Amino acid sequence: MFHGTEAALMDEGLTSLPEASADDPLEPLICRIRAGDVEAFGDLLARTEGRILALAWRILGDRHLAEDAAQETYLRVFRSLNSFRLGERFEAWMVRIAVNVCYDLARKRGPLPAPAEVLDGLEGDAAPMAAEEAVLLHQRRALVRQALATLPLAERTALVLRDLEGHSTEEVARILGVRPVTIRSQVASARAKVQAFCSRLLKPTDGGRP
Amino acid sequence: MTLHVLDQLPLWVEGDLSAADLAAVEHHLAKCPACHAVAERLRTSQVWLREAMQPPFVPIDHEHLRHAVMAQIRTEAAAKPVHRLAAIRPTLLAACVASLLIATLIWRQEHATVSLPPLGVPSALPAGSATQTAPVVTPPMARQDLARVAPLKAPLRRPEEPVSSPIEGPARIEFQTANPNIRIIWLAQAKPLPEMNPTPLEAP
Ligand SMILES: [Zn+2]
Repeated sequence: MFHGTEAALMDEGLTSLPEASADDPLEPLICRIRAGDVEAFGDLLARTEGRILALAWRILGDRHLAEDAAQETYLRVFRSLNSFRLGERFEAWMVRIAVNVCYDLARKRGPLPAPAEVLDGLEGDAAPMAAEEAVLLHQRRALVRQALATLPLAERTALVLRDLEGHSTEEVARILGVRPVTIRSQVASARAKVQAFCSRLLKPTDGGRP
Repeated sequence: MTLHVLDQLPLWVEGDLSAADLAAVEHHLAKCPACHAVAERLRTSQVWLREAMQPPFVPIDHEHLRHAVMAQIRTEAAAKPVHRLAAIRPTLLAACVASLLIATLIWRQEHATVSLPPLGVPSALPAGSATQTAPVVTPPMARQDLARVAPLKAPLRRPEEPVSSPIEGPARIEFQTANPNIRIIWLAQAKPLPEMNPTPLEAP
C-alpha cells in the first residue's frame, strides 16, 4: 500500500541537482528545443524514454499507469523546459519531474494492485524454459513485486533510484531533495523488507511466513 | 548477540558502508555463520530484485509514447505562434492601409512641384513584389535617386501608350499627373491581402 504522505513532492526548480558532465549529450538538444526546434524533442525522447518508462513502472508497479506517467512527464518537461538550469544534469531534472508525476498518479490511484493482479501482469518469457524453472522465476518475481508493493512510497522510490536506476546515494538525495542519510536509511529498510519477503522462497520450510 | 552486524548488512550488500565499517562487517561475517547466512540471503534478494524489476516495455511501447508526446507538443508549439500572428494581423493591416493613404496624399501633393526627368519610372517594378514594395514607394526622393542611378534600365514608354494590359487591372492603379511625362503606377493597393481575406471575424 502506498503511504502517499510520506513522499512529499519535490520542488522541480529550487533544490540543486547533480551537475552535468562537460559533454552531456542532452544539452545541445535542450538548446535546440528551447530555440524552437520542436522536432528535437523527438531525439530527446528517443534517448531517454526507456529510462523514464522503466522508472515509472518500477515506482508505480503498473504498466498502463507507467505509460501515462511517462507521457505526462514529457509534457511537463516540454512545458517547463525554460526553467531548467543549464549546467545541471538534465536527466536528473527529468527524473525529478517523473517522480513527482508518479507520486501524483499514485495518490490518485490509491493502493497498489493486489499481488494476484501483479502476478497476472507478468510478461511471458520468449525463451523456452523448463517448467519448474519457469515456475520458480514466476514466484520470485511475484514475491519481489509484492514486497515492493508493501513499501512506503518514499522507500520504494529511494530503492528504485538507488538499486535499480543506478544513481548514487548522493544523487538520489539531490533528486529527491532530502539528505543522503535519509536515503541510506530508506534503502536499508527497503532492502531488508525485500529480503524478508524473498526468504519465503529461500527457506520454504520456515514457519515464519508473514 | 549485540555484536552481530545485521543492521549494517542492508548497507553492506550494495557497498554503502564506509571503509572502516566495511572492514568491521567483513571481519564479523568471516566468523559468524548466522550473520553470514543473512548476508547471503540479502545478496540473493538483491539479485532477484533486479531480475523481477526488468521493465516489460518493448520498442513498440516506446514508439507509442513518442508519437503521443510529439503529437501533443507539436499542437502546443503550433498554437503559440498562431496566437501571436492573430494578434498582430489587424495591426499590420491598419498600418498598411494608413501608409498607403499617406503615400497617395504625398504623391498627389508633390507631383505638381517636383518635376522628374521624363522616365517610365515604375515600369521596372516586378509585379510579384507589389504587396511588399507598395509602402516603400512613398518617398518621391527615393525614386529620383533611382532614376539618376539607372536611368535607362527599362525602355522608355511614351505616356500615351497603354501602360498595362487590362488583364492585370485589379493589381495596378495608375495616376496621370499634371506633368504629362509623369505617370504614377501603383501596384499594391488593389491587391487584397491574402491572409486577411477569409472570414476574419469568425468569432470563437
Ligand atoms: Zn553475527
